[in-house]
Amino acid sequence: MGLEIDNVAHSFGDGLALDGVSLEVAPGVLTGLLGPNGAGKTTLMRIMLGVLSPDRGEVRYDGRLVGEADRRHWGYMPQERGLYPGMPAGGQVAHFGRLHGLSRRDASSRAHALLGELGLEDRWGDRTDKLSGGMQQRLQLATSLVHDPEVIVLDEPFAGLDPVAVASLSETLRLRARDGRTVLFSSHQLDLVQDLCEDIAMVDYGRTVLLGSVATLRASSGRRQLRLHVEAPNRDWLLAFPGLTVVSDEADDLRLAVPAGMDPLEVLDAARAAGRVVDFGLDLPTLSQLFLAAADRAVDPAGVR
Amino acid sequence: MGAWWRGTSLVAERGLVETLRSRSFKVITGLLLLLSVAAVTIPQILGGAGTTYTIATAAKAPAGLVAALNAAGKSADFTVKYISRRDVADVRQAVGDGDATAGLPAATLYTSAKSAGTFPVVVAQAVVSLETSRRLTEAGLSPQQVADLQSIRPPKQVIVGRVDNEGRAGAGFAVGIVLYLALTFAGSAIATTVAMEKSTRISEVLLAVLRPSQVLVGTVTAVGAVTLGQLLVLATPLAVAVQVSDKIGIPTVAAGDIGLAVAWFVLGFALYAFMFATAAALVDKITEVSSAITPVMIILVAGYMLAVTVVATDTSAGWSIAASMFPLTAPLAMPIRWASGEVPVWQLLMAMALTAATAVLLVWVASSIYRRALLITGRRVKLREVINNRALS
Repeated sequence: MGLEIDNVAHSFGDGLALDGVSLEVAPGVLTGLLGPNGAGKTTLMRIMLGVLSPDRGEVRYDGRLVGEADRRHWGYMPQERGLYPGMPAGGQVAHFGRLHGLSRRDASSRAHALLGELGLEDRWGDRTDKLSGGMQQRLQLATSLVHDPEVIVLDEPFAGLDPVAVASLSETLRLRARDGRTVLFSSHQLDLVQDLCEDIAMVDYGRTVLLGSVATLRASSGRRQLRLHVEAPNRDWLLAFPGLTVVSDEADDLRLAVPAGMDPLEVLDAARAAGRVVDFGLDLPTLSQLFLAAADRAVDPAGVR
Repeated sequence: MGAWWRGTSLVAERGLVETLRSRSFKVITGLLLLLSVAAVTIPQILGGAGTTYTIATAAKAPAGLVAALNAAGKSADFTVKYISRRDVADVRQAVGDGDATAGLPAATLYTSAKSAGTFPVVVAQAVVSLETSRRLTEAGLSPQQVADLQSIRPPKQVIVGRVDNEGRAGAGFAVGIVLYLALTFAGSAIATTVAMEKSTRISEVLLAVLRPSQVLVGTVTAVGAVTLGQLLVLATPLAVAVQVSDKIGIPTVAAGDIGLAVAWFVLGFALYAFMFATAAALVDKITEVSSAITPVMIILVAGYMLAVTVVATDTSAGWSIAASMFPLTAPLAMPIRWASGEVPVWQLLMAMALTAATAVLLVWVASSIYRRALLITGRRVKLREVINNRALS
């Protein structure tokens, strides 16, 4: 069941931010909401959290329309960080825990545990504005996780993080997903999060352009390339595969674009029948390539890397 | 409703704790306490010695005069110093130079035009009284009879008339002054807090958990509590001094008038606090706060001026009635009008109801603006934009 976004639309004055976006986020699966800058990711997340109201469409959780009471058990980390600059780090996390309905004692003990998990245990009493940017980012994450939310929504959590921090943050999120939480995060850095998310929803110009599991999408994409070093007298064996396109053909490196629906293993078998295969490999498309194909964009738009 | 209060009180508690912990709060409150203590004690110390008058005589002052003046000084709380000069000219000189308050070399009483107060009258009365006694004795009256005549006193004066309203008038003006002062301090504190929440984007996290009304009411409550605390700090030394010393007289105020004054203070504070919060929700950077709250300050100042000038001068004029009923000026004007004793109760109740309703309406308007304006960042938001543009919500 999980979280369902159904045909949500929203406009700011004349500007259409969302034009009927639908997607599902299943519990236990780390899901990425991907798209270039300005695709409508932040607007969609704000609608999920009730910060904005949609012009049409619904947000459902476990089949029910989401209300204020449900959202109190959710965790939200907005794109622009929002922390009280003058508050001590620990008190800040505990405060948000209490806002989400925890008792004073629970909020304090959860805050301690979470700061420990995020490597901030010795910063409990430090003023927030005295922490480094990376620490503030982790503190922000702590404020959105302190009440152990069943739904976790994070807007661009990886923006501006170094690779170590990205790995540690994704581990934190993966742990939550393994515990059966519904975790959705957004990113415009498609290739950065390629290995982090299990499911993706790609949006562009306020529309959903691609949905599904990353592995399936990449494996079934028409953008797969089979790389072969085959010692065969000629390329006649290729004629058996009409949909196959030769990308490049050099003596030791033959690149073939395998269309969707064709099994690359059959091509490999045919190559082995034709001659000795010295080396081979299947290159799956990157998320950027998938996005470009799905969004039908010719060139890399700004923001897609 | 329970959840609403819980969230609101958490916001208020956080604001309160942070303010109480802040250095600026400690410094300001400490300064207020010092100022207040100084304002109460310094006049006491300076005035503690009482007033001293000096009288110059040509020879040694006559014993009768000394006794009479000392007795008068004891009852009217002044002391008299006696100096003697050689002759009339020297006495006159001493008074002219300010060495003596009055000079009585012989039959003429010299006084200086300034700072003599009622002392020359007291001296003249003493001289007349002494001379009268002497002549009565000469006329054959016994010392007992003379003393009997001397003991005649003018009738005791008791000021009546508007004594009852004095306390009420004091309370009326006090509401205006205290409200004005409190809002000058608290208004910018409220506006800064709201603008800080907006500019640091905390508002977005808050709005995912809370309603805007909870954030606003909680913030206003916290700042209001701090302001009230500071007012109490200011008032404590005065209250202590009134208890300890009998030299400070404040008019006695009926409990009902105090209650009414407190009610007006709370209403007026809430009303203006939400106006400040609304103004602050429109800004993008904290530095813009002061210009954003200027219109609210102008309304406050204008309302106060109107109350202490127009309304206080003629409480039954049309303008005064209008000002005391109009919600934005009612908390400042109605307490002053009420002191005149000419206001029908229904007008008082209606003004209170209107003010309370406007405050509630302002919470609603401010909440709506807060929610909408917070999603527009990077520029100052126009008031009309948030009110008209439904598409933003």
